[in-house]
Amino acid sequence: MKSVNKEKRPAGQKQYYRRKKVCKFCVERIDSINYKDVKLLSQFVPERAKIMPRRISGVCSQHQRQLNDAIKKARNIALLPFATE
Amino acid sequence: MRNYEIMFIVNPNASEEEIDKINGQIETIITSGGGKIEKLEKMGKRRLAYEVDKQREGHYVLFVISANGDIVRECERRLRVMDAVIKYITVRTDEETRRLDKMRNYRQKRAARRGSGASAAPAAPSVEEAMQ
Repeated sequence: MKSVNKEKRPAGQKQYYRRKKVCKFCVERIDSINYKDVKLLSQFVPERAKIMPRRISGVCSQHQRQLNDAIKKARNIALLPFATE
Repeated sequence: MRNYEIMFIVNPNASEEEIDKINGQIETIITSGGGKIEKLEKMGKRRLAYEVDKQREGHYVLFVISANGDIVRECERRLRVMDAVIKYITVRTDEETRRLDKMRNYRQKRAARRGSGASAAPAAPSVEEAMQ
């Protein structure tokens, strides 16, 4: 019984292995998240125009906060939509 | 004195002269109040992400200025009154630039220290590469 478990375990772990997500802004050393940079911001607003959650994009908390501010400013001046139908 | 960015959208039906006239008015408000214009950029006509005043397009104009709060308040009041301006936003930027400078300094210092340390330098980037 024991030996079977030992053999199975590594395989089971491998099956659930997921690549570790990394923060785009940390990796690419993007310091300033500017509200005018629509190309960058639109990567984090999927079709519904909601802000992509951290658990999906993998952005770190500091950068997510900056990203949030930038997206909201961009929405204010009609660079990004609030919502799409 | 603080640094601000004022961005506004002018009605797409407005002509170039009208936009220039609005820019001139804003400019005089800023300079007469003792502020300084660092940059004036006409970003041209572009699509709006949503409808504003029944318009789907607009001329974007960006002012980067260094001024105090009173001037900004006056600018905003004027922009609100103008019929051709359909939307505006003012963003304070000096705190952000200060933060960026600090970060850049810190990074340079660290790079300098690493360069003299030599042994630690090659190890660090390889870890980051592996994560990508």
